[in-house]
Amino acid sequence: MRPIDPVGALAREPFAEIAAPEAAPARNRVRFLAISLLVLLVLLALRAIQLAFAGDPLAEPHRTTPAAYTSRADIVDRNGVLMATTVRAYTLTAAPELIRNPAETADGLRQIFPDLDRDALIRKLSDQGRQLVFLRRSLTPQQRRAVASLRLRGIDFADEEHRVYPQGGLAAQALGFTDIDLKPLAGVERGLDDAIRAAGEEGRPVRLSLDVRIQYALETELAAAALGAHASGGGAILIDGRSGETLALASWPSFDPNHAGDAPREDLRDRVAGDLHELGSTIKPFTVAMALQEGRTSPGEIFDLSQPFEVDGSAISDENIIRGPATLRDILSRSSNIGAARLALRLGADRQTFYLQRLGLLSPTSLELARNQAPIVPPIASRRDIAGRGFGYSLAATQAALAGAYTVFVNNGARVRPTLIAAAPGEHIERTQVFTPAVTRQLLIYLRGVVTDGTGRAADVPGLQVAGKTGTAEKLGEDNQSYDAGRNFSSFAGVFPANDPHYVIVLALDETGAGEQGGAVAAPAVGRTLRRIAPMLGLAVEPRPATR
Amino acid sequence: MRRALHIFMALLIVVLVVGLYKAKTDAAQTEAYVRQLQHQIVDEEADQRALNADIARLESPGRVQDLAQAHQNSLKLSPGAQGQALPEAEIGARLPAPRGARANPSLHP
Repeated sequence: MRPIDPVGALAREPFAEIAAPEAAPARNRVRFLAISLLVLLVLLALRAIQLAFAGDPLAEPHRTTPAAYTSRADIVDRNGVLMATTVRAYTLTAAPELIRNPAETADGLRQIFPDLDRDALIRKLSDQGRQLVFLRRSLTPQQRRAVASLRLRGIDFADEEHRVYPQGGLAAQALGFTDIDLKPLAGVERGLDDAIRAAGEEGRPVRLSLDVRIQYALETELAAAALGAHASGGGAILIDGRSGETLALASWPSFDPNHAGDAPREDLRDRVAGDLHELGSTIKPFTVAMALQEGRTSPGEIFDLSQPFEVDGSAISDENIIRGPATLRDILSRSSNIGAARLALRLGADRQTFYLQRLGLLSPTSLELARNQAPIVPPIASRRDIAGRGFGYSLAATQAALAGAYTVFVNNGARVRPTLIAAAPGEHIERTQVFTPAVTRQLLIYLRGVVTDGTGRAADVPGLQVAGKTGTAEKLGEDNQSYDAGRNFSSFAGVFPANDPHYVIVLALDETGAGEQGGAVAAPAVGRTLRRIAPMLGLAVEPRPATR
Repeated sequence: MRRALHIFMALLIVVLVVGLYKAKTDAAQTEAYVRQLQHQIVDEEADQRALNADIARLESPGRVQDLAQAHQNSLKLSPGAQGQALPEAEIGARLPAPRGARANPSLHP
């Protein structure tokens, strides 16, 4: 039962009557504040839930690739000199729907790119069926700035990568090139494509064994020799014979890989690992070494090479007939076909093939290029084939393979595989033993004799002790049946310094004329090259006599 | 007491939520700043690659030789001849005196 409290009721009533007019707005304010606070709390709670569970919707995925990432790594030479790099370029784009006056826009763009076809440009800019059209690729930053300064509506840029070869035409065939989408098309770019991509992702360069300074010396001397001999082409390779590292790889004529599309197709040819030739007399040292190795001759044997040598009804003769007794040294220094043929026949086809295989002349080289041409090795059908192979015919191989074979004279009879990748310090080098050290030493004496008083005298550089062999192989004539004495493949292959061999050089000129033999056109170029590069290799040469 | 506790809890929630919001927003801003810096680094590296390419082009042996040949006449440069070399005995006489020796004349009669 509710107690009666007349006093309290009476006492509150007058107060209630007095307070009533202000209580309603106060309650409203409180309610308003409470509702506001509730809304704020709900909003914040929702945001907190969103942040706590869903993360920041503004945040992009974290960058995982290194800042230096490029799709293709830089290529540097053995000293870190930049040979190929990927730079940022821009694609000029247009959104036709945003362009009000295509003709005016086209005229504006042609101020910067006068070669753009006006009509084609207007057609593209008016193509309302497409959201975006590409107008030009590989813009430089300067071109981009110039276009941007025009403030053309609907014109924009997209980032792209562009391959650049800062050395221009230097080592062009060795480096190769990519197309506009950075797809590798030739040279190391293609041969080492996977490694270049992997290195690009890691932001590190690919280091080649080439040396830009040596490459330049070799290329300029090769070009001078080729022009002087009216050759159709030429190639040269210089190898560190102990490690197999290729220090220079040159082909002539050359091209600028920055504008490979404009170069004649013939200029793109890598003539060192891509062209096959019957190598001629540069093979003879191997024939002599094989015969010594097999005990079919001895350093003291005397030969009579004064008469043509009949084999299967064909006469093998020498350009310079050796009258009187001849030694193995004479066979090489005077480049006797008769002597080499006799030694080859003593060996027989099987042993000859065995050694040629070990020398790497019957298989393609493994330079890290787009293409290593496999040799042409016709089957041995007669004694004449064996004899011919003894002095460099009946077998077509590349200069790179020949250079690889000559490494036996640097490594005590062991062959080292040529490579274009710089060797790491202490890296294991695979060697294939072909000849004994004693046979190799004997051959070095003979090869030195070729340069001191034989056909290769022009390759001599006082103080450097060059040893090597000249080669002059007649090329097949138009009928493809007989040899044309007016078209030669003239070459020189050698090692230096002979007292402590370290390097191998092969230089050859294609389609030299009659009388332009290896000793006359290739050997002098080798001599000039070696004089230039010897200081770069830390080798001393005697100074030239003063010219006044 | 109970009412005060409610108010305190509500304030605590507000403080926590606002604190979390601020922390996450600051983190997002910092991340955006880092992304901006990374873009800047990429841009700088792209510029650096272009500059490196330009340096390599300028230093390429062919270009240097062309320049040398172009300026050969104006600078009157030519390879040294053997006759220009001094005999070893004369080298000492041609060298400038050491600094200390110059200060003390008694060492150089």
